Amino acid sequence: MNREIEQGSPLHPDPQIAARQRWMGVLARAGSGLAAYESALKETDYQLIRAPEIGMCLVRGRMGGTGSPFNLGEMSVSRCVVRLADGRTGYSYVAGRDKQHAELAALADAHLQGGDQAHWLSRLIEPLAAVQQAQQTAKAAETATTQVEFFTLVRGED
Amino acid sequence: MHAVNSSQWLQPAFNDPVLDAQTSFRSALKALAEPGLAQPLNRALALENLHPATYALCLAFLDGDTPLWLAPRFDTPAIRANLAFHCGCPIVAERELALFALLDESELTDLSDFDNGSERYPDQSCTLLIQLDALSNGDALRWRGPGIKDVRSVELPLPAAFWQQRQARSAFPRGLDCFFAAGEQVIGLPRSTRVLLTTEEVA
Repeated sequence: MNREIEQGSPLHPDPQIAARQRWMGVLARAGSGLAAYESALKETDYQLIRAPEIGMCLVRGRMGGTGSPFNLGEMSVSRCVVRLADGRTGYSYVAGRDKQHAELAALADAHLQGGDQAHWLSRLIEPLAAVQQAQQTAKAAETATTQVEFFTLVRGED
Repeated sequence: MHAVNSSQWLQPAFNDPVLDAQTSFRSALKALAEPGLAQPLNRALALENLHPATYALCLAFLDGDTPLWLAPRFDTPAIRANLAFHCGCPIVAERELALFALLDESELTDLSDFDNGSERYPDQSCTLLIQLDALSNGDALRWRGPGIKDVRSVELPLPAAFWQQRQARSAFPRGLDCFFAAGEQVIGLPRSTRVLLTTEEVA
């Protein structure tokens, strides 16, 4: 996870909820990276409580970080809810219009709530998080090379 | 996880949310357009003690803008969880605030608190979704009014008190619209329908 996102949305004080927030964030950003795990995620039987669907979501902004909120615009969001055969329910909300991504993310969320959580964390979440971290670092490094330092000369008019 | 949550109660709703909701809504419109004629309404599964037709009406009608009043018989964790999840409708404890009410036959003897609209906005009345065990085998009553050519004989198994209550709340254009659902069928009873109790005209 990158620093900006952690600052922007503080994690819940409850460690269990914070852990789930973290993996849901990683899953939401995984994009097509989840497709590699499709067969593993779909090994167990599952039921679609809410089939993957695409909708719009209003994004609100805040002027200057402290100003009053305003409506920035709308973005497309896909969501899905699944239930595994043993009753665990997994939810997903992901940006974009990728139903496959939403379904796999919901499946992963359901698996991560069970007894084999450690297995899924090490097999699925940590590799994805590492990839996302590497991409973030690379992008930050690339951006850093374009940084320009401005300063103002004293004009000496007094 | 450990927090109190209702996800264990959830079950799938419409198979195809768009098409099934449209089909169900169309059936409901036809039921109101031709009062007394049973229309098929089979796009949903039963939810606990809600019949498929009743649940389909809920899924087609309810959303975040429609406060719902639940009869005690339907006020169960599973029904609450599924309505909140699939419809997102607020469930209210006061009958006066409800735009829709989900009733069983034991609730039909007192309709006094449901909103029957205002002279200016008669459309803002509460719509009653009433689940019955069957839509026939009651006393045959003759219905007249818009959508009925001459007279239609309808045998809804309803207590006489319901007809008195309906008349008491009816002051056209104000009034209560009703849907009667059983199994996979629905019958509509708009406020404009006049119901004749064999010889005398009641409403």
